[in-house]
Amino acid sequence: MSLDTLYTAETPEGIALSLRPAGVMPRSLAYLIDAGIRLVIFFIAALIARPMGGVGSAFLMILYFALEWFYPVVFELTRSGATPGKRMMGLHVVMDSGLPITPAASITRNLLRAADFLPMGYAAGMLSMLTRRDFKRLGDLAAGTLVVYHQTVQLHGVPPPAPAMPPARQLSPKEQAAIVSWAGRSARLTPARLDELAVIAASVTRPDAGVNARGEHDATRRLQGVAQWLLGHRPGGGSP
Amino acid sequence: MTPLQFEKNHSATWAELEALLDRLDGLKPVKKPKRGEPALPPVDGARMTALYRRSCEHLALAQARAYPIHLTQRLETLTQRGHRLIYRQHDYGLARLKQLVLVDFPQSVRGHRWYLLAATLLFLVPMLAIGWATYRDPGFVLHLMDADEVQNFDSMYGDSDRSIGQQRRASTDWQMFGYYIQHNIGIGFQCFASGLFWGLGSVFYLVFNGQSIGAVAGYLTARGYTETFYSFVVTHSAFELTAIVLSGAAGLRLGHALLSPGRRTRLESLKHAAKDAITVVYGVMGMLLIAAAVEAFWSSARWVAPGVKYGVGATCWALVIAYLGWQGRPARSPHAD
Repeated sequence: MSLDTLYTAETPEGIALSLRPAGVMPRSLAYLIDAGIRLVIFFIAALIARPMGGVGSAFLMILYFALEWFYPVVFELTRSGATPGKRMMGLHVVMDSGLPITPAASITRNLLRAADFLPMGYAAGMLSMLTRRDFKRLGDLAAGTLVVYHQTVQLHGVPPPAPAMPPARQLSPKEQAAIVSWAGRSARLTPARLDELAVIAASVTRPDAGVNARGEHDATRRLQGVAQWLLGHRPGGGSP
Repeated sequence: MTPLQFEKNHSATWAELEALLDRLDGLKPVKKPKRGEPALPPVDGARMTALYRRSCEHLALAQARAYPIHLTQRLETLTQRGHRLIYRQHDYGLARLKQLVLVDFPQSVRGHRWYLLAATLLFLVPMLAIGWATYRDPGFVLHLMDADEVQNFDSMYGDSDRSIGQQRRASTDWQMFGYYIQHNIGIGFQCFASGLFWGLGSVFYLVFNGQSIGAVAGYLTARGYTETFYSFVVTHSAFELTAIVLSGAAGLRLGHALLSPGRRTRLESLKHAAKDAITVVYGVMGMLLIAAAVEAFWSSARWVAPGVKYGVGATCWALVIAYLGWQGRPARSPHAD
């Protein structure tokens, strides 16, 4: 069983989009931010409408109704596909096919908030989110929508430059991918951990190469060299 | 081909697509061309889709060849953004609304006819039963409501000068309009949404609303306040009661989809049902808006003779039923017979 909650959706072009569903915490925070914004809007409107008597209080009640049910719908149908709170938390709403959300789906998921809210404080919605790998609440289930992170976390960077050197033996595609991924994480791992991993893979490097300034064998440097070779760099700066 | 060559050959394509996406999705501010520089040419849609398809191919290749992850991730982000932009729906203008009012809503109401029948019975049977019980014995209403509430109804529909419409001004009309929108449409939505719990919520709301309306009507009839009460409710009830029953029917649809999913999985069946039912809810929203306006500005108007109100009310009932029953049927061609 894989540890991450990656959700893949296939597009008509036949590629798999990976979506990262957002869990209870960021979504609750986004909800709180939105609740604050709604409160401020209502407060300002109340200040203006108070002296207007009956018409003013009609306006306030209609505004209250609109904020309660349609505030999320309006924002989800904009280009960002997210309410201000969701946007601040880096989230947005999509269909579970990876497509932008449709008006019908947005209205469905937001009307069904009434069901998610029961019996109190979004308990049903929370329960549904906590028991599912894709963190859908009941409204998301019925509407076929998904709340996902806008940006993916960048764990991998460009492998750092190192003098290219050929591996000591033929490498299977899996081994090649593993070495290149390892090199791509150079910026995020501590040098000690990087070296520890490189020593495990010492058999793929040539023992005679990659001696550092102090005359020690530097496993990290050698393996990074192999990664560069796999990427297409060749000793002497050329590429095939 | 090594990853380096791949990147070198195609990065121009990706950069062009990235620039187009930045311009179109509006998430990042785009630099305006300075004075003297030529303005940016309009975005060529065909070019954009071509670039998008090529990037999709590149992503598939990169994944299959296990190219370095930073490269595939860049392509993934790029294709994801392109996908979002290209497949965005654009059709929610006035034409869509017209189609909804003239065809889709009444059609989908007829598509839910069995749910509608069930919802009507769930609403009408308690209403008539409780109405009859309170008519026979007005004291029965105290089993269902507080004495305060009952007194309130007495004074609202009785002959006192505090009765409805007697002392209402235009500003109160507006205030009630706001209240009816906020309160009644909210109830309509909840009646639909709670159907998600195997239909139980919708059943509850239908029965509950049915019995309380029946209790009030039975009690006031027994007390002899018939003219005040019925001339008040006859017009807006055409929209309001129908809408509550319709939203209950939509809720029952959700519940039924969960209980008896047929050949689909429960989840798929729920999604499918929600897609149909939401069209009904659109119409419910519109009908409750009309009901709120009628109830606030027409029903409470005391200067209109009760006879006129009964006439208008009957017309509204007939129109609503005719609209739901016949509007939006495909036109029969004159030469069919």
